[in-house]
Amino acid sequence: METHVEIRLPDLGDVQEVRVVGWLVAVGERVSEGDDLLEVETEKTTFVVPAPSSGRLVEVAVGEGETVERGGLLGRIDPPA
Amino acid sequence: MGGSIPRRSRVSHVALGRADYGWTLDLQRTLHGRRRAGEIADVVLTAEHNPVMTFGRSGSRDHLLVPESELRREGIELFEVERGGDVTYHGPGQLVVYPIVDLRDHGRDIRRFIRCLEDAAIGTLGEIGIDAGRREGFPGVWVDRRKIASIGVYVRGWVSLHGLALNVAVNPAHFAMIRPCGLSVETVSIVDLIGRTVSLDRIRDLFLVQMDAAFGWEFEPTGLAEVLGMEGGG
Repeated sequence: METHVEIRLPDLGDVQEVRVVGWLVAVGERVSEGDDLLEVETEKTTFVVPAPSSGRLVEVAVGEGETVERGGLLGRIDPPA
Repeated sequence: MGGSIPRRSRVSHVALGRADYGWTLDLQRTLHGRRRAGEIADVVLTAEHNPVMTFGRSGSRDHLLVPESELRREGIELFEVERGGDVTYHGPGQLVVYPIVDLRDHGRDIRRFIRCLEDAAIGTLGEIGIDAGRREGFPGVWVDRRKIASIGVYVRGWVSLHGLALNVAVNPAHFAMIRPCGLSVETVSIVDLIGRTVSLDRIRDLFLVQMDAAFGWEFEPTGLAEVLGMEGGG
């Protein structure tokens, strides 16, 4: 379990909070590092969050319409062994 | 760094003039993909569109105040786009500015990018005697409680798409068809405030100067074919 990679909100500069527009990948699906994972919105800007690691998306911590603060946890990826 | 003159980055400006919205959207997406791939440098497009309503990622059809059939009758097209924000209108008499730039070269800061766009619009309006400003929590540019410029941006791979729309002389009947950005706010154009006509080209030129100042850029007027690397070999 401890081997899961945390997906955290990237540093967007002087931005305190974003709202999750939606996930582009479903729990259980495989992604490659850099793939589009989800869209968040702040300041009338949609920002596409990339996968921090390759692997399988195992947890979505923040759902559509919910807000997350600077550096907050968005989900987890189970990387290949 | 203190006291040194910051290096200005050269950015291409392509003036599209009057351009179909759908065509421009395809062009923006093409340029965005090529900028992400590192095939082209930063570019800013300016244009004036045919009448359209666009829905951003937070867009709600409930904020369209007339049936879609009426829009079609008026020749107003509808588009779903990837930018942030709700429904907005583009049309004749409105200057749109689309920066397709890698924000990693410009501070890697979403809020600062939006503020610079707002500053360029506020500075432009100041040049013609209009006192405009920001409203905390409501991105865009305002004159009193009326909205004069709208913002909506998309950032993927840290490269921006979409941008800002400044109302120069927009048909008020078209604005009355939406609740812009979901707000119950009045929209206003430059001509309503200064009581005389002003050309879109003049506002665009002022805007580019202000954008240079806000972002620390130096614009190079560039042809579209040149940006796309399609100029003839002769």
